[in-house]
Amino acid sequence: MFRNYLKVAFRYLSKHKGYTVINVLGLAVGIACCILIMQFVKSEWSFDRFHSKSERLHRAWLQEHYEGQIFTNTVTPIPLGPVLQAHLPEVESTCRIAAMSPLIKYNNNTFTDPVNMVDSNFFKLFDFELKQGNAGNPLPGNNSLIITERAAKKYFGNEQAIGKNLELQLGDDKIIFAVSGVAKNVPLESSIQFDMLIPFSNAKYLWSEATRTKAWSNVAVETYVLLKDEVKTATVNRKIASIMDPLVAKNYKPGEYTVTLQPITGIHLNNVLPQGNQPVSDPKYSYIMATVGILVLLIACINFVTLSIGRSVTRALEVGVRKVLGAERQQLIRQFWGEALLLTLMSVIIGIALAIILQKPFNQLANRELTLAADGFTILFCFILVVVIALIAGSYPAIILSGFKPIEVLKGRLRAGSNMGFFRRALIVGQFVASIVMIIGTITVAKQLSYLRTKDLGYDREHVVIVETNKGRAEGNQLAQRFKVVLNQNPAVINSTTSLYSMAEYGWMNMGYMDNKDAFRQFRFNAVDANFVDAMGLKIIAGRKFSADNTADSNYILVNEALVKEYGWKNPLGQRLPGKYGHRVLGVVKDFHIESLHNPIKPVMLALKPDSIFTGSSDVSYSTSPQPRISVRFRGGNLQENITFLRSAWKSVAGDQDFEYRFLEDALNTAYQQEERLGKIVRYAAFLSIFIACLGLFGLATLIVVRRTKEIGIRKVLGADVTNIVGLVSKDFVVLVFVASLVAFPLAWWMLQKWLQDFTYRINIPLFAFAGAALLTLLVALLTVSFQAVKAAMANPIKSLRTE
Amino acid sequence: MIQLEHISKWYNTGAARTFVLKDINLTIKEGEFLSIMGPSGSGKSTLLNIIGMLDAPSEGSYQFMEQSVFTLKEKQRMELYKHNIGFIFQAYHLIDELTVYENIETPLLYQNIKGAERKAMVGDILDRFNMVGKKDLFPAQLSGGQQQLVGIARALIAKPKVLLADEPTGNLNSKQGEEIMELFKKINTEEGITIIQVTHSEKNAEYGNCKIDLLDGRIQQHIKENSSL
Repeated sequence: MFRNYLKVAFRYLSKHKGYTVINVLGLAVGIACCILIMQFVKSEWSFDRFHSKSERLHRAWLQEHYEGQIFTNTVTPIPLGPVLQAHLPEVESTCRIAAMSPLIKYNNNTFTDPVNMVDSNFFKLFDFELKQGNAGNPLPGNNSLIITERAAKKYFGNEQAIGKNLELQLGDDKIIFAVSGVAKNVPLESSIQFDMLIPFSNAKYLWSEATRTKAWSNVAVETYVLLKDEVKTATVNRKIASIMDPLVAKNYKPGEYTVTLQPITGIHLNNVLPQGNQPVSDPKYSYIMATVGILVLLIACINFVTLSIGRSVTRALEVGVRKVLGAERQQLIRQFWGEALLLTLMSVIIGIALAIILQKPFNQLANRELTLAADGFTILFCFILVVVIALIAGSYPAIILSGFKPIEVLKGRLRAGSNMGFFRRALIVGQFVASIVMIIGTITVAKQLSYLRTKDLGYDREHVVIVETNKGRAEGNQLAQRFKVVLNQNPAVINSTTSLYSMAEYGWMNMGYMDNKDAFRQFRFNAVDANFVDAMGLKIIAGRKFSADNTADSNYILVNEALVKEYGWKNPLGQRLPGKYGHRVLGVVKDFHIESLHNPIKPVMLALKPDSIFTGSSDVSYSTSPQPRISVRFRGGNLQENITFLRSAWKSVAGDQDFEYRFLEDALNTAYQQEERLGKIVRYAAFLSIFIACLGLFGLATLIVVRRTKEIGIRKVLGADVTNIVGLVSKDFVVLVFVASLVAFPLAWWMLQKWLQDFTYRINIPLFAFAGAALLTLLVALLTVSFQAVKAAMANPIKSLRTE
Repeated sequence: MIQLEHISKWYNTGAARTFVLKDINLTIKEGEFLSIMGPSGSGKSTLLNIIGMLDAPSEGSYQFMEQSVFTLKEKQRMELYKHNIGFIFQAYHLIDELTVYENIETPLLYQNIKGAERKAMVGDILDRFNMVGKKDLFPAQLSGGQQQLVGIARALIAKPKVLLADEPTGNLNSKQGEEIMELFKKINTEEGITIIQVTHSEKNAEYGNCKIDLLDGRIQQHIKENSSL
């Protein structure tokens, strides 16, 4: 019996090859797309879960009320870890992680790479694997260092890493470290990232004794806390207050200084808290991705179901015959569901194969190293998918057809579903809705991205190359001086400038101070040379720029409009920041963007000599270390030639030290990688969904035309021409697209409005995207449908009528 | 064997009833070869379908082998049907996706007959119908007459007591039609299978041994033991 069903199923599928291919392929593509996107989402959601103690691991974060402002930080004071460990019996152990990018010297070459200074129990808390070294005591001495495989390859090539010496600059000291272990590369799904680890005992080079033991207002390290088994986080959080309040009583009232533990697994997708040592993801993006994935799958499923149902009508006869031959309803239900199951299973298998084939290109797109794992989640997902789709797709023949009276079917009295039933119409509308939303999304995201890339940033971003000195301030400036002398000899170079930060570093140094009214003020700061304004193409709107010839200019500062506005100066020239700093305003620069366009423009100060401004500020913080950077503006022309020139110029002044450069425009665009990725994935998904929907439409149009053959024949005999017939068949679809647009427009509007909220600088949602998406969908739908309609309309009516 | 009493069938069209069959009383004995005749729309096929349990009358009672068909439960009726009735159609109604062999085998599958026995039974009938060479062909590869032959073989495979045929030669040319009717006659006389056929053709009706004429849902004439044979 089963063999008979299987035979019929296979013969039926191979007889209607076109239908089978459309059906299976559509679903397979949808499944492949969904599997890939879900892998990405899973990767986002699985951050830090690879630690075997991840359930018990937490990170402390801090909230201080200070002078009427609230500061939230996931980087915490240095003494916090030891204090929590000493006073809370619920705490098993704590580990501090200070992330830095010091200058690292090996032989005559200097680099900057991410180094974490960690407490000695680092490997006991976290599951990072050691490839070489003593697992029991991986960092035996103060000067031991663990290096990842990737970094070891960069520094030592294929040589044995253990025992090699590296010189790290910590503060003003240069310390020699000896490699004592090699760690496996840090997984991508980790909130702790490093190329090297050094023991926390080296903190003395960076922070004073007081900072290390009792400075509760300075933040420097991430503090990870391992709780004992069965301990509730909430309980510990309550207890922490009773420990911290007395310690900070001098400067804070109770409740003004709170330390809270967050689970390590919650770090990556929590963008309410500021980022700590590593960037976090906006959870919105994984939701958007998951939605896109599910939408594509949904479209594919709808397609599969509508086609299956449409096709099954043609099998009414077979059902009738089988019933006359003695088939019971149960048996028919089993047969048709079995067939649907077979088809779905085929699709899923092909879909998985497609996903495996497309893994590599997708990884490039998503910038991940994902692999398809046959884990419980994936298997369950596929299983549920198969069962659900098969159940729905097989439902029509299985339940409805099998219930028909055979005699009606055999007599051809039954013209089941001569119109598209309501259910199927709703499904098609659903497909169109998803397609239209995705097209509008594609257009809007693309427009916003191009806006981000081309918006006037207040300076000229073209043809600029940034060269890193990778040296401290004094040394780096000297090197830059020598370098610039060589640059100036080349006519291809328009200008060059040295500054502690270039435009390529998002977020300069953040300075805070108390003004004369005891209000806490902040601004962004950069130390530049006299060339900076000209070289970067900044516009002076009042006063003048720095002059290289005027040594007195080092007592002056340039500020931007935002700063003038913040202090409410009517006449900014000659003003001083209230209460601090002796510098007076020399000129006002038109606002320019030093952060990504997600953020508003903040007050900015530029000075020639930073020292007295550093010492005057009570709060200095930065995410990228300040070091002289040279921005070189070229006339354009041959990129390769320019770089070759820079390289040889660098070699002539810096000797052995590696030449490290970036293009300004590339660096700027890194801030939009997430959006860029989203844009690409939505674009592919939109294309796919339209493609799949068209497969479905094509199949459906075929069915409709077949079913209306007689009607078309009669109309032709009555004098209808081809356009009439095509119009007749297409009319239904136009209505469906119209209905779908009504549903899709507000949905797309709402979603995109939400997305655009991320950007301080954004476009208005382009209205043409809506009209365009609806028109495009209509056009594609009509093209697909009329292909069949024209064929039917051209056919000789005698033939179609004779069959009746 | 078959007893129809006061069988009527009607459709409600608006307020009026349209009768397809009106007060049919008919007894068919085992071994009869009955032809149901009448013009289009006289209710021939409806009557056949009621006899074949594929359709239910609006009124009346039906005894099949001493069982009251329409008081039986669906399941029991199905059993009664499966084991005793074979159907043959004007349009053959073979399953396109199955070969000759498989088409003939299908009723046996629904009666849960074991594989080896099925093979023997199908082989047997293929032999009898001289179709062994065609067993692996699909219906589309056969002529109309051959397809109807398969249809008959399929109807006979489960050894039914009654064979119902709805215009079995309607789609065939006269020579093929004659062959089919000869076969019917042979089955009827040699195996004693009761045959009830619906036909337009006087000539075909003459192969049977009795005949009813229907007009507007009523039996006009019931000729038993056709004297012309």
